[in-house]
Amino acid sequence: MTPGMQNMRMGMLGRRRALAALAGGVLVSNGARAQAPKRGGTLNVGLVNDAKTYDPIYSVQFTERHVLYLMFDTLVRYGTDFSIKPELAESWEISVDGKTIVFTLREGVAFQDGTPFDAAAVKWNIDQRLDPHVNSPQRALLAPIIASVDVLDPHRVAFTLTQPSPGLFSLLGERVGFMVSPTAWKARGKDFGDHPVGTGAFTLKEWTRGSQVVVERNPTYWQKGLPYLDRIVVHDLAGSVIGVQRLLTGEIDYVGELTPTDVLPIESRPSVKLSPIKVGRWYFLQWHVNTPPFDNAKLRQAVAGAIDRQRLNEITMRGQGSVSDGPTPDGLWWYDPAVKSLPYDPAKAKALLAEAGYPNGFSYDLSTPQVAVFQQINQLIQEQLAAVGIKVTLQPVAASEWYARVVAGSTNMTPTRWTQRADPDGLLYILFHSKGFANTMKYKNDRVDALLDQARATYDVAVRKQQYGEAQKLIVDDLPMVPLIFGAEYAALRSNIGGFEWIPDEIPRFRGLWKAAS
Amino acid sequence: MKHPARWIGGMIIASCVIVAVAAPVLAPDDPYRSGIAMLDLSSRAHWFGTDDLGRDVLSRVIYGARASLAIGLGAALTATLIGVPIGLLAGTLRGRVDAALVALIDLFIALPGLVLALIITAMIGANLRNLVLTLGFVMWPAIARLVRGQALALRETLFVEAARATGGTRLSIIRRHIWPGVLPVVAAQFATSVSFAIFTSASLSFLGLGIPPPEADWGGMVRQGFDYLAINPLLSLAPGAGVSLTVLGFYLIGTTIK
Repeated sequence: MTPGMQNMRMGMLGRRRALAALAGGVLVSNGARAQAPKRGGTLNVGLVNDAKTYDPIYSVQFTERHVLYLMFDTLVRYGTDFSIKPELAESWEISVDGKTIVFTLREGVAFQDGTPFDAAAVKWNIDQRLDPHVNSPQRALLAPIIASVDVLDPHRVAFTLTQPSPGLFSLLGERVGFMVSPTAWKARGKDFGDHPVGTGAFTLKEWTRGSQVVVERNPTYWQKGLPYLDRIVVHDLAGSVIGVQRLLTGEIDYVGELTPTDVLPIESRPSVKLSPIKVGRWYFLQWHVNTPPFDNAKLRQAVAGAIDRQRLNEITMRGQGSVSDGPTPDGLWWYDPAVKSLPYDPAKAKALLAEAGYPNGFSYDLSTPQVAVFQQINQLIQEQLAAVGIKVTLQPVAASEWYARVVAGSTNMTPTRWTQRADPDGLLYILFHSKGFANTMKYKNDRVDALLDQARATYDVAVRKQQYGEAQKLIVDDLPMVPLIFGAEYAALRSNIGGFEWIPDEIPRFRGLWKAAS
Repeated sequence: MKHPARWIGGMIIASCVIVAVAAPVLAPDDPYRSGIAMLDLSSRAHWFGTDDLGRDVLSRVIYGARASLAIGLGAALTATLIGVPIGLLAGTLRGRVDAALVALIDLFIALPGLVLALIITAMIGANLRNLVLTLGFVMWPAIARLVRGQALALRETLFVEAARATGGTRLSIIRRHIWPGVLPVVAAQFATSVSFAIFTSASLSFLGLGIPPPEADWGGMVRQGFDYLAINPLLSLAPGAGVSLTVLGFYLIGTTIK
């Protein structure tokens, strides 16, 4: 089998599984008015926006991508099943040794400032991110796998890799893949984040921090006939609940990140339709495995066995999420049904606690970010652990400070959540490899490291699936964290909005939407 | 009845205290036990419905009286313990000590109470003890200033001059002649401080710096219910009524003390 064929097989396998998962989900739609695409109009989006910059090279915040995907195109894009599709790159070929990928670029594409998008621009974009002086946060992801990027001709560019790197495609569909106009970036310097220029369907018109972002249709967009909308206004929201009210009054057309409880008041409104996400965020409880008290394996097992995950799902997600047995939900190709977390068994948990050397239980602080769902999860965990003699004190921390403290290591036991990435390497490596930059559990298992290293260096999906399966089994047994649930979440749209589809990274793509007469 | 307002206030406070003390008897349910009937509306089983974790709201409102009264009374007591001695010292000693203390009092009064409380709680962390200390610390300058003013007036009166002339010591003058005159002012300010403390702690909860969950406290419950106003407004309204009533009760008492 040629590497090219292997690549196709990977895509198809992923697609089939994700489609099977899709069949289980239902799109709740009360109106059927938005079927035929219509041109023109303004889409009003409500967003709890924490954007700091719209320079893709420096982007870190989650919600920045909501707007970046409007102004920038990526080299490749994700399908609704996380499959990799052409975007600015029309096609690609992987060399037999897997260490060279040649991308053939779309012709006739120009940046919004009129300069051409070509192979030199791609090389410049990747080189910028690799340049230590530029200090892009993406450098840590790219430097270990990219040896060089070379221009073959104006429309062909070769990526030379240090090792076969299937995860690169996933990276090129998000921040790393946003193609920036080199001319504009050099001209603007540090101000580029306020005056972004890409090849995207929309151009930035106005950004008033704390208030709104306005983007307008790019009249020279390379995809003929697109976009449908003339303008998109992203309004800052103080909270999703306020967004629901503004949606009902028609002030905004879209609001996302709604919990199953948030959508209760709008479930049967004809003016609104709900779109559930396909792959829920992964919630887990983490701790430092290298320092007392959680360096004690028996103690970790006791805590894990004392937590009733089904009840967490029933109460915090109204039963619409699912119990997590490991990092990967069913529906993604690296899901392995053999990965099983400890079952809920308070009696056994109590016995384990005694074996661990705590016959009378113990007391510990649980970091509690001011985010409704974390507060709910923590109160339930507190109640459940109290039943086996573990006294947990909830330690409130501002949502904005919380993750910085987790990274700094000043927070030990805390709940956390991550969205899935298009490639298993994206999440499993950064969280569980001893060198992973988001491994705040201080977890280190040499076998897991080896498996994650091997699996990121082969394109053979069957081999990778087996390696990721074994790694996840080891991780779940070692308990650097307790898997809790996969969340349920909704976007709510006015029923005259058409064309909306979820991609499993939970970032809504607005550029293909249209607005019918309401 | 000479002071109907005082009586009404007294009755309100008395009921609050009874609810707080008898909470385990009065509450129909365990206020901390979760359930899978979340955000239910008012029913025979749950008069005020249930919250987002399926806990009985009525029971939580009843237990919430404890935290709110503890904060109100605790903070007012703290403020009094700091404010009264400083006020008496400044008012009776005069001179350089007075000037320094007045500068200190003015410095703290110039800062808005809520903002100061917000900064302190953000630094030392929110829990019942810290809230009591923080709010007490925020409120002492008002008490000190009142006490100083009263003491200043009293120290110029004839009977204090007479006491000084007959060889009374400073301490005995404060204790026997000035303190009795200051006491009504302190009592009135104490009552107002209680209502300010309860009110401010509710505001802090709204900003995420109140008593941490799962503790049932009125301020925190108002905040928590805010997200579910469209589903069950009682989640916020019931504890909100508790705050309003208690604040009103102490206010009525405070304003009728001469």
